[in-house]
Amino acid sequence: MNPVVGIAAFAAVSLATAVIGFYGLRISRTTGDFYVASRTVRPWWNASAIGGEYLSAASFLGVAGLILLSGTDALWFPVGYTAGYLMLLLFVAAPLRRSGAYTIPDFTEARLDSRVVRSVTSIIVVMVGWLYIVPQLHGAALAIRITTGLPAWVGMVAVVAVVCVTVVAGGMRSITFVQAFQYWLKLTALAVPILFIVLVLSDSGTPAVAESSVNPTGAAPAGLYQNISLLVALLFGTLGLPHVLVRFYTNPDGQSARRTTLIVLGLLSVFYLFPTAYGLIGRMFAPGLAQSGQADALVLLLPGELVGGMAGDLLSALVVAGAFAAFLSTTSGLVVSLAGVISQDLFGGSVKGFRRAAVISAVVPLGIASMTGSLALAGSVGMVFAFTASTLCPVLLLGIWWRGLTDAGAIAGMATGAVLCGGAMAAGAVLGAGESPPWLAQPAAWTVPAAFAVMVLVSRATRTRVPRTITRLMTRLHTPERPLVTER
Amino acid sequence: MTRVRVTAPRSVKADSTTPGSAVLPAVRSAADSRDAAEESDAGQVFVRSLIRSQLRLAVVVAVGFLLILVAFPLMLGLVPGLAESTIVGLPFDWVLLGAGIYPVIGLSAWLYIRTAARNEARYRDLVGDK
Repeated sequence: MNPVVGIAAFAAVSLATAVIGFYGLRISRTTGDFYVASRTVRPWWNASAIGGEYLSAASFLGVAGLILLSGTDALWFPVGYTAGYLMLLLFVAAPLRRSGAYTIPDFTEARLDSRVVRSVTSIIVVMVGWLYIVPQLHGAALAIRITTGLPAWVGMVAVVAVVCVTVVAGGMRSITFVQAFQYWLKLTALAVPILFIVLVLSDSGTPAVAESSVNPTGAAPAGLYQNISLLVALLFGTLGLPHVLVRFYTNPDGQSARRTTLIVLGLLSVFYLFPTAYGLIGRMFAPGLAQSGQADALVLLLPGELVGGMAGDLLSALVVAGAFAAFLSTTSGLVVSLAGVISQDLFGGSVKGFRRAAVISAVVPLGIASMTGSLALAGSVGMVFAFTASTLCPVLLLGIWWRGLTDAGAIAGMATGAVLCGGAMAAGAVLGAGESPPWLAQPAAWTVPAAFAVMVLVSRATRTRVPRTITRLMTRLHTPERPLVTER
Repeated sequence: MTRVRVTAPRSVKADSTTPGSAVLPAVRSAADSRDAAEESDAGQVFVRSLIRSQLRLAVVVAVGFLLILVAFPLMLGLVPGLAESTIVGLPFDWVLLGAGIYPVIGLSAWLYIRTAARNEARYRDLVGDK
């Protein structure tokens, strides 16, 4: 691919991000603006921003890559990513908004009336955030290497630098505009090239390989256990993702939090049709891409491969721009939410502390990413979902719906989930991707029930520790807001 | 029982509507009476029943959705020839799993939101909010 194309696309996205970030800066003055955009963001803006933030390297590059490799088995990834939002809507969206908590540690502290629970939750949130940023940086490394031929670390450093500048300069308000813009950019960047590809293919009558006969890697299809375990991770992992939950605070009330989620579901459903189409077309017309071991680059390479010429270069530039929008938006969303947690716990919640925490949140994963290699992007993000599903999901679900949860139970359950799922991830990494048995490669099916069970049993055993504020809290979580608030 | 409870997020919201502050005192007192009502034993009966019906609704929608989700691959496996058939030139199993599930998700979400709002409206009627 022409290296100028990649560099120009990345520069254009970074510039647009910085300009929109600066535009937002002029309206973001107070600490409240900085943290949560003062809760004045309209549902459509907010939904676009949630979509922009959620659609990461795994969605933009990884899903198509996995579909190219393993066919219909990989379709569970986009379905699970979307259905996770349905679970979020059903069990978490409105009560979490009504709790008034800005971060998950805020919520657990208020719910369980315990500073220790807060610290444990903060540690887990920061771990989740860092684990989630790492694949984004791997994606950036892959994209910069494939499209420009520059060394991989350039991509990682560039993404971290742009994220630090936008977050430090504008906080959440400018991030909201940036994220909303980036959703539509990502959608365009996948939709326009695929239209051209389909036109070219139907015009030239290129012979297609029958899809079902393609098995580029010769790998056995995933078993029933793996598919179920993956779905458990994706369905229950979404509702614990820190950068997703922060967004709900920008809704004015619980009912609008639900409406926003409905719009998000629509936006995600439309988006995921496109990676699926890339994967299917890749299997039918360019199965050779899977053999080079660069399946994750399918989306980036397909326009050049099938359209070619000047048009191919332009379409490639668009896709590369979309890919960088994906790395930038997810990373900055995570950095904002991590900075919120770190600055409140370590720096007393000031604007200066938020800026310092933002830099910390972005630089640490850069170190991890540069020391590790990239597996399949959708796969490594799937592992992060398994981890949140085993730690933050139980504490949120039980905290919202069960009066009997105690601080001891919450800590024991989160620790169990973290140790089991983290252990499985570490063992899987040591054994290598091809060698680990299914129950280690996809641990969610047993780690999530284990975390729930420990949380419930320990809470039962320590039932005298149920906080006295429970009645008031449950009332606030589940009753609609006052008319004064909802009439607006 | 104490009635001092203007918690942080709510007070922020109240402040942000200060242009209409002329109506605030009346609304405040209405809010206080609702606080008192909710924290009484009778009020808690309503609150608990609201929580139960919202949880039941969420579980029913989730289970219904999961059953449909499981039914899709089962259908492909059990009906002979279905997975190999094509629809407008595309393999049917891809259309079903890659596109057909999304409308089901959207419909479940829409049904849930409508019913959840209705549960809340019923609760408002019970506690006497306008």
